[in-house]
Amino acid sequence: MTPLPMTVIGGYLGAGKTTLINRILSGDHGLRILVLVNDFGAINIDADLLVSAKEDTIELANGCVCCTMGADLFLAVGDVLDRRPRPDHLIIEASGIADPARIANVAQAEPDLDYAGIVTVVDGQQVQALCADPLIAPQVLGQIACGDIIAVSKCDLSPALRQTLSGLNTTAVLTRTQDLNIAQVLIAPQGPIDLPQTPHPAYTKWSFTGPDPVDRTALQAALRARPEGLFRVKGQVRGPDGAGLLVQVAGRDIDIGDIEQPAQSQLVGIGLATKLSAKACDLWWTKSALRKQ
Amino acid sequence: MGKTLLFHAKSVVTMDRNQPRASHVAVRDGRVLAVGGPNCADPWGGAEAHVDLSDTVLMPGFVEGHAHMMAGAMWDYAYCGYHDRIDPQGQMHNGMTQIDQVIARLSEFEATLAPEQPLIGWGFDPIFLTSERLSRHHLDQVSTTRPIVIIFSNFHLLCGNSAALALAGYDAATNVEGVTKGSDGQPTGELQEMAAMFPVMRRTGIDFRDLTQTDAALRSYGEVCKRAGVTTVTDLFATLGDEDVARLAAATARSDFPVRLVPALGAMGGTPAEIAAQAQAMRDRSTEKLRLGAVKLMTDGSIQGWTARVRAPGYVGGQPNGLWNTAPDQIFQLCEEMQRQGLQMHIHVNGDEAAEVTLDALEAAARKHPWPGARHVLQHCQMMDAALFRRAAELGVACNIFANHLWYFGDQHTALTIGPDRAQSMDAVRDCLDAGVITAIHSDAPVTPMGPLFTAWCAVNRRTMSGQTLGPAQCISVEEALYAITQGAAQTLKMDAEIGSIQTGKRADFVLLGADPTAVNPDALKDIAVLGTVLGGEVHRL
Repeated sequence: MTPLPMTVIGGYLGAGKTTLINRILSGDHGLRILVLVNDFGAINIDADLLVSAKEDTIELANGCVCCTMGADLFLAVGDVLDRRPRPDHLIIEASGIADPARIANVAQAEPDLDYAGIVTVVDGQQVQALCADPLIAPQVLGQIACGDIIAVSKCDLSPALRQTLSGLNTTAVLTRTQDLNIAQVLIAPQGPIDLPQTPHPAYTKWSFTGPDPVDRTALQAALRARPEGLFRVKGQVRGPDGAGLLVQVAGRDIDIGDIEQPAQSQLVGIGLATKLSAKACDLWWTKSALRKQ
Repeated sequence: MGKTLLFHAKSVVTMDRNQPRASHVAVRDGRVLAVGGPNCADPWGGAEAHVDLSDTVLMPGFVEGHAHMMAGAMWDYAYCGYHDRIDPQGQMHNGMTQIDQVIARLSEFEATLAPEQPLIGWGFDPIFLTSERLSRHHLDQVSTTRPIVIIFSNFHLLCGNSAALALAGYDAATNVEGVTKGSDGQPTGELQEMAAMFPVMRRTGIDFRDLTQTDAALRSYGEVCKRAGVTTVTDLFATLGDEDVARLAAATARSDFPVRLVPALGAMGGTPAEIAAQAQAMRDRSTEKLRLGAVKLMTDGSIQGWTARVRAPGYVGGQPNGLWNTAPDQIFQLCEEMQRQGLQMHIHVNGDEAAEVTLDALEAAARKHPWPGARHVLQHCQMMDAALFRRAAELGVACNIFANHLWYFGDQHTALTIGPDRAQSMDAVRDCLDAGVITAIHSDAPVTPMGPLFTAWCAVNRRTMSGQTLGPAQCISVEEALYAITQGAAQTLKMDAEIGSIQTGKRADFVLLGADPTAVNPDALKDIAVLGTVLGGEVHRL
């Protein structure tokens, strides 16, 4: 089974983690994201998006699920891995005091998980004071230092703030939370990207449905040569001679499994809008997988 | 109205100053009807049945104010600890002071397992075995095919054999923080912290919920209590969903369950208001043997793990200050909400900075929402000094002190954590009592074994494993120690009106002892045999 990509969203109390999580949960991204949160306190889902809400689980119409982690985060992660079907992506909300790196480390250790990065949310108005508070500074600084992305909430990314934060973490991507889109959250560790400073979600969704069979070798080659920026592809592909192929692509991981032959190939993909258009995806698929000009 | 039973003991140590000693206790409907001599039941129409306990000394059942349910079910695993320890069935397990002895014990245990079952051990503590580090090579001597996992006593580390490591795919190519490598580049078997431990635990079926949230775990916990002479026990930091509460209510109601259980809801996984609402909702589901409604807060870590928050000058080795498990801001928010809603809190504070911040939070909460009878409890209190105890007294805050630490970790604290001077004044039960604080002492089982007489011995003698007396100025008398494990602990649970002494009207909860603790040499306090307990008039002999 393909490892489940896991992202940790960290940051001190009141930094704005839940605002980001609310956006991810209700986003129109076509991915079944499971979010483990400490509590449902500030989770805010539109009623028309709600499928069911239980003591510890909220299911959404877009396929996302939000669960509380209970007393033990790791047991909760174990339960997520035991879920069938598994979600496409796991996001963990670290507690306001937790070291996100210690949590994210499980994605490096556990063969069924894939490290997909740490997003540290920082309250731009509070961060200077917190970093000067001897009671709590070491833990706040640790949260900032381990982020692949540092998302600043509640104010603009002023040059002074930018300088402070880059001093604490030289490699992270710095952005305002409101400019951060889901695609960036999901591919956090793949190096600095040219982040678009637009308030709108800057990602492209692509889908394909068709009856033509594709053989495994061609599929593998096509997926390897997929357009830059198309970071997730998943679905079922109709193979030749009664074969069916299950596709899971996340970053560099390309996984092709065997399933019963579907009547149609059905694929969905997602990527950064600055690097990808649906048209380019169509062209790529038609040429390299279907081998049509 | 039930029968009047007359209990006859060698001696009854009542812990009631109005009548400190007696020979008989009359009991009706689970409560003490009268205390005195052979005729004490006469004003009530006389005894209808006699219970001969004349081979025992009766005391009020001990109250363990800080322990965890896991202390029972841990024994499903093989004990690998350095100290002698008695299992819930009463069998003594000699401590293992050499790795060879651990290996021999594991080999014995391995022979009892079904072929497909992994071998799990617990209680191993490398702080005591300094000559060499336990590695997968040691465990491979037990088996190369059966996965073996030894969980260390602090639950932050484990050691696996080669078969266990293979399950998680750990090998020379693994580059994961916490997967320790040897000079040969191969994993040594030692895995540090949950992230690195998780893949192995998951594949060997180790799920801590099985150690707490099952009937078997509860029964086993009851046995541990009975052997320690404990008739009221806490489970501090419990997961208490609807189903958990229903299960506990049913299981504790059984007449063969020998102890009153006081779980405190772990304040995690919710906003302060949500946690308070959950505690409020369960409070009404309390029964005679299950007391619900208290909340447990975590603040810092542990001193021997260098994760406790300590004030200047910090740790002697120059280690950085410890970690908050709950941020100071959150401690303030939680304290305010619980205080506002009238919910009693048990608050973990090991380091003195954690104690100070918590007292600040409790004081702020008390100013906003006055509640004279709140009686919140600081738990562990290991580095509190006289000034902090005086603040606790002023605020009406009780203190439950981790006296067992003196014996188990006193030498380590002197040498490694906070240095000789502050180690001398650790677990300062004398200062606590003198400040007029409601005082209890505890084991934190399974961290150290449950045994209130041993805990009392620690507070009286303050002996460490190397034999030194750590801070003689903080020693207390035997009477004070016996107060702390009965009345004192009962007060921390707000149950002192019904338990904690043998007194007319109180519950008939007794411990049966082999000797009178006030009559033996204080040094022998820990050696007094527990012969059984009585709960609500029901005898539970060992």
